[in-house]
Formats: sequence, C-alpha cells, structure tokens
Amino acid sequence: MTTQNGIAALPQLGLGLGLRNVHFEHILTHWPDVDWFEAISENFMDSQGRPRDVIRKVADRYPVVLHGVSLSIGSTDPLDLDYLARLKTLAHEVQPQWVSDHLCWTGVMGLNSHDLLPVPLSDETLAHIVPRIHKVQEVLGRPLILENPSTYVGFKDSTIEEPDFLRALADQTGCGLLLDVNNVYVTCFNADADAMAYLDAFPWDKVVQMHLAGHTDCGTHIIDTHDQPVRPEVWELYATAWQRTGGASTLLEWDGNIPDFDTCHAELLKSRAYMGGAGFQQVLDAAQIAPATGVSNPVSFLVPDVMDAATPADQG
Amino acid sequence: MADTLTDLQHWMHRALLRPEEANPQEVDARLTPHPRLSPSGALAIYQQSYRLRIASCMREQFPALCHALGQDLFDDFAAEYVRDCPPESYTLYDLGRRFAGFLDAQRPDRDSQTREVWVDFVIDLARFERDVFVTFDGPGAEDLPPASPATCDADLRLNPSLRVRAYQFPVAQYYLAVRAKAAPTPPPPAPNHTAIVRQDFGTRIVPLRAGHARFLSVMTECTTVALALAELGPGALTPWHDDPGLKTDWLRAGMFVAADAQT
Ligand SMILES: [Fe+2]
Repeated sequence: MTTQNGIAALPQLGLGLGLRNVHFEHILTHWPDVDWFEAISENFMDSQGRPRDVIRKVADRYPVVLHGVSLSIGSTDPLDLDYLARLKTLAHEVQPQWVSDHLCWTGVMGLNSHDLLPVPLSDETLAHIVPRIHKVQEVLGRPLILENPSTYVGFKDSTIEEPDFLRALADQTGCGLLLDVNNVYVTCFNADADAMAYLDAFPWDKVVQMHLAGHTDCGTHIIDTHDQPVRPEVWELYATAWQRTGGASTLLEWDGNIPDFDTCHAELLKSRAYMGGAGFQQVLDAAQIAPATGVSNPVSFLVPDVMDAATPADQG
Repeated sequence: MADTLTDLQHWMHRALLRPEEANPQEVDARLTPHPRLSPSGALAIYQQSYRLRIASCMREQFPALCHALGQDLFDDFAAEYVRDCPPESYTLYDLGRRFAGFLDAQRPDRDSQTREVWVDFVIDLARFERDVFVTFDGPGAEDLPPASPATCDADLRLNPSLRVRAYQFPVAQYYLAVRAKAAPTPPPPAPNHTAIVRQDFGTRIVPLRAGHARFLSVMTECTTVALALAELGPGALTPWHDDPGLKTDWLRAGMFVAADAQT
C-alpha cells in the first residue's frame, strides 16, 4: 500500500467553506469561526504571490483540504507528473487533511478543456483509471479522494452505474470518495434517474467528504453553476447523506455571484437543520438567483489591484 | 458505438473545440438520448460551457482590452484565439499567455503598407495586461530583505517581480482608468517606458525615462549596480547620481531589495 494510512483514519472536520478570493480579506481580518476550508489546488499551487501567502496563513489556523480540478484521472493522455509534483509541493506546505479531485477527464492530445468531462462507465474505463489512481497515490503518498461529477451526457458505452463504478474504484485502489450531493441531483435529473436510488447504491463507507452547492434549472436540464443557495431538493438528499455517512465532513461550494462571507457561512450552517434526520419542515427559502454566467467555474482569479506609484510621472 | 476510450475522448474534445464540425450521426452513435434532451443538445451544454468559461476567464485577465473592444468584439477575439491556440496548460492562469502574439499575428493590416493605430493599441494593451497579470502572481520580494535609503548602491538588488517595458501607448493610464470605472476612450500613441513591480502583494506602475529604463533593463540581466554600469560602458552613472530623490521614489515603489548577507 502506497498510502500510509487508509481513508478510515481521516477525520470528520465538520462544516467547511470553499476558500475564495473575494473572502481573503475578510478571513485574514476576522478569522471567522469556520470548522475548515477547502482550497482549489490550481488557484494556489503555482502562485508566488498573494494567493500562496493567504493559503499559508489560513492553513496555520484552520484544517485545510486541497481540491483539484485538473488531475484528469480519466484522461487517456499520460498523467501530468509536473502537475502532480507541484500539487505535492503545495500539499507539503499546507499539510491538507486530504487531497481530492473528480472522476473525470479535462482534456486529451495535450490540450485542456478546463471542464470536468465525464467518462463512460465501463470495465475498460475502470481498468484504465485504477492504475492511474495507484500512481497518483504513490506520488502523493496519501489516498486520493474522488468526487462524482455533474454530468450532462450519457455514453452508449457505459455499462456500470456511477455508484457501482465509484465503489469499484475505491475497493481496488483504497481511494476515498467525495459525495457531491448537488452533483447527484444534477446528474440524476439530467439522466432522468432517481437520486434516492443513486444514494441507496452509494458505497457510504468510502465517503470522506460531501459537497453542497447551488444549481441552475434550465428547464430541460440543470447546470451545476455554484452561483446560488442550495436548493431544497438538494438539502433533502443531504439529510439522507448525512445520516448514512454518520456525519461526513461537509463543504459548501460557491463560485459565481459569490456573496459576502457571512452570507456564505449562514448558507453552510443551514445544514445543521438537516442533521436530525426528521422531516423537512425546515426546508428553507432558496429563491433562485439569476445565474452569473450559466457555467460552473471553480477557478477564479484574484484580479491584480494595480496602483500608480507615488513617483513623479516625469517621462522623457 | 464501441469506441476505445481514447477514440471517444479525442472525438469529444474535438467536438468542444469545433462544435460546428461535430457530425450529428456521430453524436447520436456515442451519446444516449434523454427524454428532454437530444444527444446533440446535451453535448451542446459542454460546448457552450467551454466557450463561456474561456470568454469569462479572458475577460478577467484582460479587463481593459475588453473595455476597449466592447464585450462582444472581445469575446469574438477570445474565441478565435482559443481556436487557434487551444489551452494546453492545466492552469487557466496560462490562458492569456499567447494572446498578444496571436493578435499581432492576426492583425488585419498585416500585409498593408500602413498600420492601423487602433490595432497597435489593442496589441500594446494586451501585452501590458499580461505583464500585470504575471507580475501579480509571479516571484516577488515579499520574503526578501527590503532596501532602505541606508542601503548602499553595492547592496541594491532589483525586486524579482520588476518588469521594465516599452509601450507605444499610455496603456497603464488607460488600464487604471478602466479599473477606476472612468470609461476612457482609446488614447493616441505616446511611446513610453514603464516599470511594473509588486511590493507587499500590491502591483505598482512606475513611469520611467528612456535612460532609466535602459539602466534597469541592463540591471535585470546583470544583477548589481556596478555590473550594470560596466555593461553600459565607460562613464555610465546611476540614474540617481544627480537626483537622490529618484532613488527614494524607487525605493518607496519597492523596486529594490537589499542583497542577502550571503550574496
Ligand atoms: Fe463539488
């Protein structure tokens, strides 16, 4: 086993928030009472400026998890060892509780779509991904945690249901799972499948973490936009998932139209109302907000704040 | 269709890059229909996401150019750019790296005798915005010993973030006006030298005289003041030899650090 400790040793962190650029100042000033933060690895791993400084400071005070969008574990291109090395360096620096990414591919032919593209769920894909997970775990020296993506297409080559596919990956590699409850809802709606049946089939003993997020209903389909409050239907699934995981670490993702920190935090804390397992009378108002861009975009930039130097503008 | 995984991914990635070339029969052969969405309609969600994501990231990386062109035209340029130079890196920070070069290579007046001024401005502004973006997150001086007025010339080193650039237009002023939401109009040409530098994670723009820009450029190659002066030739003097206030200003803008004790 390349991973020193299995996923069973990973802690329950409580309720966490995605570490987002627009909140940096607030966090560093107020050190809010949040259980933990999840950072998008790619937003920090190459930074030699403010983002790197911020994540170091945050990691000094809070448990941190690194969540990637570019591992491309399902791609038929070779694994990007340079990327893995940079991820490992960042992990060494901030000592995350774990490192996660998605069951997806992001590109082939040396190109990158910057999207989380689904793979056909088949024995061929399983046989392709299992050794890649082993390799990633060997390089990182820790178990990889993989998330179910939101999907908008189904492949004719798919022969395995997603919960079974994830279970097989976890059984064969020792990797853990990140159950994105909103993605379950989005994927099942788009595939005209039953989200509760998905949960019934899920390998709960492999779940290390859960994601919550808002989505946009486009009528014929749903897009995982992360730009609004969690929808009541997703809270309902979360209540079940909370029970079945026995309280897995929960994280709220908000990536577009990001409100102030306290609003995000209040949205996260709504999850407490769904931990009792009772009915859903408390279903909270989740008025739909107009989507920011209609696209899920987990990698946002800290836009440079440029100043004119106080130097006399003596040109010549 | 029994594709290999490799075939399927190559096909799908091409369908994202070139939606108009995705053959509907091939889409139907690979993707399952849903009650509310055809296979092509489902694939279009990814095709649209790709386009929107790239456009939105490009706008974030080139806000002033987006203002100058207007969003529709900017998005068209960005879309053409990624068709020509599809993203290769795992990081979106790399997205705008080749944009100025692309605009230059594609300029509509390439083969004509006279150059369109507005095209020159667009390319100049793209270069500047990339410089600012890279300076913001690249190597800096935050962990290095700061230089002070007491630091002797022999111990001065340049801030690693410092970029010395020549532009044909007052792009820095234009950029600052856009950031201040002042809705500037494109300026006439005004060749200038500019330093872009980061201090305490804040990026600053410092106007330079031509001779000063030359000195600083040489110093970025040569490391020390003495080596830069040697490179510039006999009789060369520091830009501040007769103007101590200039050194103070440059120190205040964070352009120098102090040499490490070991170096
Ligand atoms: Fe997620």
